[in-house]
Amino acid sequence: MKTMRQNTLCNRPVRPSLSQLAAILLSVTLAAAEPHSATPPAHSLPQPGRKFVFPRDHGSHPGFDIEWWYVTGHLLSPTQTPFGFQATFFRRSLDLPDSGRSTALPAFGNSQLYLAHMALVDIKTGDFLYQERLNRDGWDAGSATNTLDVHNGNWSLRIVPPQDGPGAGERFLLRGTVGADQSFALTLQPQKAMVVFGTNGVSRKAADPTAASHYLTYSRLAVSGNLTRQGATQTVSGQAWMDHEFSSSQLGAGQVGWDWLCLQFFEGRELMAYRLRRSDGSTDPFSTVAWIDTDCRVRQTGPDQFRWTVLEHWISPKTRTKYPALIRLDAVNPDNGRTNCFLIQPLVADQELAARVGGVSYWEGACRVLDEHKKEIGRAYLELTGYGESLKGKF
Amino acid sequence: MAASNQSVRRLLWSRFTWRHWRLAPVSSILLLLILSMGVAAFFSIRLANRAAVAGFQTLTDLITSESDGLITAPAGTLPDSVLAELRTVLDGAPVNLVPVLEGNAMRPRRDDNEKFGSRPGFHLLGLDLLALSNLAGQAGASGWGGSKKESGKPGRQNVFQSALNDSLGVFISDALARSDGLKLGSELAVVVNEHAVRLHINGIIPTLPDRPAPPQDLLVMDLPALQRLTDKPGRLDRVEFVLEPGPKRSDQWRVIRRRIETANSATAPHWVIGSSADRRVAAGTMTQAFRLNLTLLSLLALLVGLYLVFQGLDGAVVRRRHEISVLRSLGVTSRQIQAAWLAEAATTGLAGGLLGLGLGWLGAQVAVKFVGQTVNALYYANSVHSASFDFPEALAALLVAVAASTLAGWRPARLAAETPPAQIAARGGTSQAPAGKFLARPDLGCGLAVLGWLLTFLPPLRLTGGGRLSLAAYAAALCWLFAGGIFAGSLLAALGRFLQWLRLDSVPLRLACSHLRAPGGRHRLAAAALVCAVGMTAGMAILVASFDTTMRGWIARTFQADLYISSDGAQTASSLSRISAATWRRVVAHPAVSSANILQVMEINLGGISTLLVGNHLGFFRDFAHPAWMEPPLDEQVFRADKNGELALVSESFSDRFRLHRGDPVELPTPSGPRRVTIAGVFSDYGNERGSILVERRNFTNWFGNELAVSLILSLKAGRDAETIRGELRAAHPGLGIFTSGYLRGEALRIFRQTFALTYALELIGVVVAVAGLVFTLLSLLWERRADLATLRALGLRRNELAGAAALEGALTAAAGTGMGLLVSLALGWLLVHRVNKQTFGWTLQTDPPWIQLSLLALLVVASAAAAGGLAGLWATRLPAEREE
Repeated sequence: MKTMRQNTLCNRPVRPSLSQLAAILLSVTLAAAEPHSATPPAHSLPQPGRKFVFPRDHGSHPGFDIEWWYVTGHLLSPTQTPFGFQATFFRRSLDLPDSGRSTALPAFGNSQLYLAHMALVDIKTGDFLYQERLNRDGWDAGSATNTLDVHNGNWSLRIVPPQDGPGAGERFLLRGTVGADQSFALTLQPQKAMVVFGTNGVSRKAADPTAASHYLTYSRLAVSGNLTRQGATQTVSGQAWMDHEFSSSQLGAGQVGWDWLCLQFFEGRELMAYRLRRSDGSTDPFSTVAWIDTDCRVRQTGPDQFRWTVLEHWISPKTRTKYPALIRLDAVNPDNGRTNCFLIQPLVADQELAARVGGVSYWEGACRVLDEHKKEIGRAYLELTGYGESLKGKF
Repeated sequence: MAASNQSVRRLLWSRFTWRHWRLAPVSSILLLLILSMGVAAFFSIRLANRAAVAGFQTLTDLITSESDGLITAPAGTLPDSVLAELRTVLDGAPVNLVPVLEGNAMRPRRDDNEKFGSRPGFHLLGLDLLALSNLAGQAGASGWGGSKKESGKPGRQNVFQSALNDSLGVFISDALARSDGLKLGSELAVVVNEHAVRLHINGIIPTLPDRPAPPQDLLVMDLPALQRLTDKPGRLDRVEFVLEPGPKRSDQWRVIRRRIETANSATAPHWVIGSSADRRVAAGTMTQAFRLNLTLLSLLALLVGLYLVFQGLDGAVVRRRHEISVLRSLGVTSRQIQAAWLAEAATTGLAGGLLGLGLGWLGAQVAVKFVGQTVNALYYANSVHSASFDFPEALAALLVAVAASTLAGWRPARLAAETPPAQIAARGGTSQAPAGKFLARPDLGCGLAVLGWLLTFLPPLRLTGGGRLSLAAYAAALCWLFAGGIFAGSLLAALGRFLQWLRLDSVPLRLACSHLRAPGGRHRLAAAALVCAVGMTAGMAILVASFDTTMRGWIARTFQADLYISSDGAQTASSLSRISAATWRRVVAHPAVSSANILQVMEINLGGISTLLVGNHLGFFRDFAHPAWMEPPLDEQVFRADKNGELALVSESFSDRFRLHRGDPVELPTPSGPRRVTIAGVFSDYGNERGSILVERRNFTNWFGNELAVSLILSLKAGRDAETIRGELRAAHPGLGIFTSGYLRGEALRIFRQTFALTYALELIGVVVAVAGLVFTLLSLLWERRADLATLRALGLRRNELAGAAALEGALTAAAGTGMGLLVSLALGWLLVHRVNKQTFGWTLQTDPPWIQLSLLALLVVASAAAAGGLAGLWATRLPAEREE
């Protein structure tokens, strides 16, 4: 299961969205902390041909500036009640001047900063619940460097030791809560092999060759576990998408935000779309759509191969931000050269994470996917950033 | 009929009660003032007490909103590894853990000879500033997670600056920013432990919507920065638990608490689980006895006031008897008369009470300072500088005033109701004061005196938390005050007869003696009131003088070494400032130092009662503190560091509080598990009332794993000048407070005297009230005798002779009251010194009545009474035989 596949179509940078988000959320705060000296610290840069070794590379890479682990998914209870969930763990190195603390593992560290988001949407009631958490490295937040073991407060994402003997495949345990009344403990079992986006293991993000990342994804995981909603616990099952990315890059100039989409078709394929928006409203040349076959083959296309059209808008009552609410994605299928039309429709309108801790509000939510005949053909998670305020200059 | 009753009552109120008040505004106002003073004493003490208890601040509540629970160490601090341990124990439960460390800071010394406690201090609160933003969903703390960047507000910029990049960054209260003109980026010079540092102002502490504004002396720092600054790396004072918002929060906490308790009991219990409310209750309990004592003292002051109300109303009955008779002839029933009189008493109580609330509130602002200082010195750090008005307390004081006034007016009302219509003709005849019968019974006085004596054998009431209340001793005081009041009447009669027996050729004296040889109830009442006031005042003076004498001896004995050193930030017993091991080792290594005692102190909890564990060199303690032994050690073993590992010395307060004596074992909670020591001796100590248990410092250090010292005591080599060495050490360690024994003796005495300052205020009230009461009585008596006075004038007596007679009457009444009052005061002094003080604080004092002060008090009262009597006499000679007030 530790196999990986190189994408082969193009060398366009892909899926920098969450790293960008992390960079924005963290850089806003860190810029305030004035941690950086005039000379940028020497962070690691993604290297082509890097051989990933697991479970070590599931873990943290402190040599890189930015790292994140991200899981979204759709769940169903035995009574067919649908839920969506999002769990995001960010890490950012701080590179502060030495403040006299040299202990290897202090309870209150200042070498890393951890931000996390946990969200749950009850599709039936329309309730969207979310929570943010910010901690320094230390007793309440951290990530192992030799395996997947990241935690922030009482939230955690950890690899589960194989119980069924060698070859049983790796599984992950996600534990999250939202407030006092919502919690979930979900076991994630990859159903498809991990894919690595980019060229030769490196995903470039901008014209600057140092702006690049290592970007690893499980595009389909079986989910099972328990979900507690308003004090009542029920078993749930469903499917999830899980990303892990680490880089040391800064984002390019001229970008004001992005739209990102992970789409799981019922028939077994996945699609990842990323549209970087420029200040004039145009699509950035580094935008992409990646198709993942049932056999985990990844093919990426550039902005000339897809069209992103906003059909409806929704205005947040909390932040008064106007977000796209119904999107039409027309993308050329590299298999047959035909253009497919997908309608991306939020399952609940209000899935905005209005920032209290991180400083940047964004919309990230569960969606259904319809074809041109309005037939539901899959499920998706959509991320919309930079609509409330431009992210330009924040990273 | 009911309507008719109503109209009679209204008529009585407007044409009888109210008219008399208007006709005699001075006496009415005087009566109200006297009552209000009693109420004010009671109310101000209550308010000051309340403020002092409120001064125990759960500071984190101001920042994070009230936590659901907390854990502390059984003794000392917690290691910060406890946090990860707790997170594991909680197994993913949605709860925020808020680690807390507290400390003190003090402004730097400006004057080398400044008084202790004169510099304002600060409370340092260490919190993980970054993690505070996670509580943004809670009732408060949003200010820490917000994104505002306006000047001074703790937006992310300031919080990150403080938390990650600035080991001296601090957030201050808005009040401090205003008073000191501090802005973002300003610096605040303070001393923390022995470090003189300049803290950087990174922002203003936000005020939570439902919480009081952060106090002026609160400084908030990032926790790891405070750990470094206070030399407590890796240590926490407590961990608070703040649950995520949601329903059934208390149920959630119960579940979480059970998990923690299970984990705690799985090994040797190393956490004490509680809540913020528990901490407040514990603080309240700690000072309960002290506050109850003050309340009882203030109630005694009110008692004197009630004597006065009784006298005032009784006098009014006399003055209005003629009118009452007429009213009775006109058909007003005795019931209606009694009701009118009681209404007047209640109204007097209400009006006097309302006035007392105002005066009491003003008095509380003064009292709170003294109460706060005492609480600060003896119990815990508090930062209260003013007492706020409290409605329930005000209502209670008002009810006490009305009830007491009505009670005092009960007998005069009955007397008024009993006035027959036929008594019109008997106007001006002597009347028996209502209390006459009670006060003219020496057998009752003897009974009360004996009862009081028996009460002194009863033990104190033991309160939760180790407090003790000498309820029986207070009851004994009450018995003796009443007995003294009764005996004062007998003394007055004896005095009158004795002077008459002398057959002195003085008209005024004869005239005065004629009234005193068979004193009426009113004279007896006036003398009894004086006994009460003088007895209390002089009794308190005896306690204070005895304390003073004992303290001087103790201080002279205790401070025998050459230099005493503490953190310059330590100004009170409750200070958290310490001296790091590196620093005290450098100090002790000074070539002039002959020997040194390093004192380490830790507050510990024995069976739910808080006390102080002191680590020091017991041999040095014996040699340089010269303790006075209540139970001396039987051999030298306890003073030998190589042999006293399982021995301890305890203070008298400790022995009294825990009822433990020489030879008894004590189990001490320590981070390294419980330690058992045996008490080798009990010494007298006046440093605190919570008690101290002294062990060899080496053991203390091993048990608690730290070497932070509270103070150092240095003995210098022969020929080395203490002042010179002090100067050298001061120059090398500017963050240390270094004192010679002479200076410290003076300051210790000053601080002890300061804690008794409040009692002087109560004494003053007592004397003023007593003399005012006597004036009242004389005015009433002279009013009664106005026809006689007119007759005497017609017979040729001069005005000054009549005035002289009145002066003598006042002086002799005062002399009898004061004389008996002084006798009672000796008994009360003994009671306060050997019962109340010993039982409450566990301090044995040497009785030392201040004879000169007592004589001056007696002279002052008698002279005031003579002067007031003379003036009243002059006033009375101008009265026409018939006059309405």
